[in-house]
Amino acid sequence: MSILDKMQRIDRRYIYLAAWIFVLFPLLNPLGLPVPIGRESRTWYNYIEAIPDDSVIIVSMDYGVSGMPELYPMTVATMHHLWDNCLTRNWKIVVLAFWNQGPLVFDTLLTQIDPAERYNVVYGEHWVELGWVPGSETGMAALATDMWGQTPRDYLEDRPLADLPIMADIRTAEDVDLVISIETGTPGLPEWLRQWNDPFGVPFIVGCIGVSVPGMAPYLASGQLSALMPGLTASGEYELLLNRPGLAVAGLDAVSMSHLLVVLLVLIGNVAYFASRGKEVR
Amino acid sequence: MATMWELIGIWTAVFFTLAIYSFLYGENPWFRLAEHIYAGVSVGYAVAFNLDYLRDQWVNKWSLSGTLMLLYLIALFFGILWYARFSKQYFFAYRWTLAIIVGTGIGMALRTVIFTQFLNQIIAQARLSLWVSGDLLQSFSNTMIALMVPSVLLYFWFTGPARDRPPMSYIEKLARYTMMAGFGAAYGYTVLTRYSLFIGRSQFLLGITPNPPEARMAFYVIAAVILITLFAKDHLFKKS
Repeated sequence: MSILDKMQRIDRRYIYLAAWIFVLFPLLNPLGLPVPIGRESRTWYNYIEAIPDDSVIIVSMDYGVSGMPELYPMTVATMHHLWDNCLTRNWKIVVLAFWNQGPLVFDTLLTQIDPAERYNVVYGEHWVELGWVPGSETGMAALATDMWGQTPRDYLEDRPLADLPIMADIRTAEDVDLVISIETGTPGLPEWLRQWNDPFGVPFIVGCIGVSVPGMAPYLASGQLSALMPGLTASGEYELLLNRPGLAVAGLDAVSMSHLLVVLLVLIGNVAYFASRGKEVR
Repeated sequence: MATMWELIGIWTAVFFTLAIYSFLYGENPWFRLAEHIYAGVSVGYAVAFNLDYLRDQWVNKWSLSGTLMLLYLIALFFGILWYARFSKQYFFAYRWTLAIIVGTGIGMALRTVIFTQFLNQIIAQARLSLWVSGDLLQSFSNTMIALMVPSVLLYFWFTGPARDRPPMSYIEKLARYTMMAGFGAAYGYTVLTRYSLFIGRSQFLLGITPNPPEARMAFYVIAAVILITLFAKDHLFKKS
């Protein structure tokens, strides 16, 4: 087998080994590569900054533990941003999930951040967690017309909604000013569009995994979606905008190195392919 | 300092992460074990969450009057019919529930899908300004959208010999480049996601804050054990 053939048939285990090295090395020895702030993360940051006072904001955890590596850093950063402004801007934050592992992810977040201690926000007064709402798109539609009926009790303290002052004036989608959905799939953006955005005019912004971005970009261009946070790189930029570097910033060097590896492998494959094809023609 | 239970949790998480990644080396018993346990745990979690929700709904809403109780029991009955699909004799009953779910879902979606995912997209395309003052890149991008989107639509409208003659032959070429660019973007973002997942787990394995630092020792030990057993298994099989 010639060297050109070998270059086109690299044993996949060597490629995986290289991937491990390219990812682990910058995590163990941060390279400090520059991080330019992109348009998406800046739009997301500005959008949250511009939320009017007294707004009711739904944060929907529409992903499970498998989406955590990419979406958890942006969830943490967004919750910091919201809780930090909650008291001064009188925002009311309602956390819920249309994915059944959503509450599990948020439990993890609460083990790392105590909002009462850090931001002086009171559970049940400034923010509440309603937990999982089943039924996918049907559940979304039902929640829009009757939030109390869909989630009669809160998730964290298992109290009836009537006992929670924050919920007194939040009963339907018409009482909600913004939806922030952080998501990996279905239900997600199309369902929010169909059941909340179009019928009730509730604006929404979406944080998503990279794979979903090409499918969501048309909604951003049409203005149906107000802001889009695509994946880990944008999360890192957002953390820097908040001046709160976290897991995403720590992973950006590894993102750059891993992409470098992919580009190298694509180049090797193409060079070998075209070179061997040239030989065959001769 | 982590407690004993936390340590057990950390070591278990590291083991399952590495057992799943051991598939990169090849099919092996560590991967099989982890795969089956993952599937079982995730199904168990979903069932428990569903039962919890059913209980909450019953206690707080549906047990409050006789009519509501009846409606709840009817819904529960149709829910139980899902399991009829495991019986050859009663398989037909499963279709009733399926029909209700599919019918409700389609009805819900069709209510607004024409506007949200069709008309609004066309309107946005028609309103696109080709020239954005002071933003050359956006102007270029909008011009490309105005040319490329219709070209792809025409590509799928005109099939057969019509594509071989001008002007469709030129439009077809542009449409192909457009689709290739779209697939390329999708591939690039897919790579980003896969590596992001890998980076996230690597941060956990290395115990990078806020992950527990104890994970790093567990990573070294368990990785060594899994690798040695995989090599040993290969070696033994070769000998036999």
